[in-house]
Amino acid sequence: MTPRFSAALLEAEHVTVRFGGVTALDDASLRVNAGEIVGLIGPNGAGKTTFFNCVTGVLKPDTGLVTFDGVEVGGLPPHRRSRLGMARTFQNLQLFSGLTALENLMVAVDAHSSRGMLADAFRTPLALFEERRAEERARALLHFLNLSDRADTLASDLPVGLQRRLDLGRALVGRPRLLLLDEPAAGLDTRETADLAELLLRVRDRFNVTMLLVDHDMALVMRVCDHIYVLDFGKMLTEGPPAEIRQNETVIRAYLGEAVS
Amino acid sequence: MSARARRVGLLVVAVIAIAWPAILSDYSRSLATDGLISGLIVLSLVLLTGFVGQISFCQYSFAAVGAFTVGSLVAAHHWSFWLAMPLGVFGAAVVGALVGIPALRLSGLFLTILTVAVALFFDRFILASGTWDAFSGGLSSFVVGRPSFLGVHLDTSYRFYLFVLGTFSLCSLGVWNFRRGKTGRVLRAIRDAEVAASTLGINLTAWKLAAFATSAALAGLAGALLAVSIGSVSTGGYDLVHSLGVAAVATVMGVNSVASAAAGGLFLVFGPEILRHLGVSSQWFNLITGALLIVQLIVTPDGMVTDFQHKLGHLLRHRAARKAPVPATELDVRDDVPVRTGVRS
Repeated sequence: MTPRFSAALLEAEHVTVRFGGVTALDDASLRVNAGEIVGLIGPNGAGKTTFFNCVTGVLKPDTGLVTFDGVEVGGLPPHRRSRLGMARTFQNLQLFSGLTALENLMVAVDAHSSRGMLADAFRTPLALFEERRAEERARALLHFLNLSDRADTLASDLPVGLQRRLDLGRALVGRPRLLLLDEPAAGLDTRETADLAELLLRVRDRFNVTMLLVDHDMALVMRVCDHIYVLDFGKMLTEGPPAEIRQNETVIRAYLGEAVS
Repeated sequence: MSARARRVGLLVVAVIAIAWPAILSDYSRSLATDGLISGLIVLSLVLLTGFVGQISFCQYSFAAVGAFTVGSLVAAHHWSFWLAMPLGVFGAAVVGALVGIPALRLSGLFLTILTVAVALFFDRFILASGTWDAFSGGLSSFVVGRPSFLGVHLDTSYRFYLFVLGTFSLCSLGVWNFRRGKTGRVLRAIRDAEVAASTLGINLTAWKLAAFATSAALAGLAGALLAVSIGSVSTGGYDLVHSLGVAAVATVMGVNSVASAAAGGLFLVFGPEILRHLGVSSQWFNLITGALLIVQLIVTPDGMVTDFQHKLGHLLRHRAARKAPVPATELDVRDDVPVRTGVRS
């Protein structure tokens, strides 16, 4: 294992989750330092999504601590964590299908504003100002994602590749410090995955965002990650930089199989 | 629809809505008034079902809170309508939020059943004689006079119609502002993907409860207006059947469109009336609504008014496009977006 010396943005310590008799996560710990792209890999059913849900607050771990930027967030609901600077994408996208691409991004800006229904009903100056600002930010991000010409298309009418980009944009538009990506390469072909890898690196530089990436796609994970954790049967098998993981015997046996031999 | 077409359309509708009833009979005018009041209840469903996707079969129970608050306070305690009405609206909002609490964890069929239970609870228990006669009036009904508004006594049917028209328009404008603002986006986002909405920072509990409370407040306002429109408040008019009827009509017209409120409300009141004119019992109205509902779900799943608006918008765009063809020089300049391939090592 290679020691890492910068400040931890996200730290999960000894996280355990049980569903009835099944232990989905068993004493799993993980650290994401500011500025890094950290990968979390493991075979199907290893507990990756469970881990993800613990970090975002969709699920509460039975034991263990989740710390974000020095704050213990274990008891906070998802919307509070979002306000602290966490954002996530979804494996199955979960876009707001009845909203346009532009609205999908605007709502992510709206979510962090505190104005209520009254301001909207009377269209107060504050509401109009925030409305304009949300639209500007959403349009800027659509431009960055090369989706400008689809601004008024319903999310459900976009092709899957563009939906995935929109999902990423929706997570980014609130300017998070930590971006959690749940299998962003799912359903993409080799070429699209390669484009995604480039996009993620560009996103990190442009938005100065730290990332935790869960994926099966070794090409993507090896390409973009600075550090990789391997999860198997709910336990952290090992961790290390991509080059080490690629050569690790246990990992190859548990997960990669013949593919990287 | 373009902004200009919409403005012209709204102006035409406004002129008709103000001028036409002036030459109608007293009776037709009062029907139009009641139509707009029913429209408020349809509007409350546009907010709740159209935006948040929550189904409610107890909107008339919320209306009852408004109606009986006004009825009991004005008739028995000689309150001013202007004090009783806000209290009734507020009471309806509170009841709405209370119904919203279990609704936070329920959706679909289970929520529907819950709202049916609420409707039955109100009709069969709260409003039943002997339970709380001070509120429900027991076996008798409360007699309520028409209030004054800014010094004008709303005793003639036309004045009262204008007052209701103004109230209805303001509420519609408010809901329309919700729709095109943050509120509409947030609520529709919750409808489409709850988990995603909450991880973006949306407080699901607060927004859902607010939606329920606001929807119930609109229905409560309708109830308060209904009390002074009819001139009396008595049990029987706020039961499950009414709530089902208004939900059916809201669905037929389209819960996604604010314009459905007026169309739906007028349909609810004038539908049975037209049947009577044709010599058919108004009992048939529910059957016709049911049949319409089936046809609508097959032909125009988004609702008739919504469908009409789409078609009209399409037509106007086509005509505009023919008049002034847009030069096709919109080549998007994409300077900062690389579409590189083959970056794998």
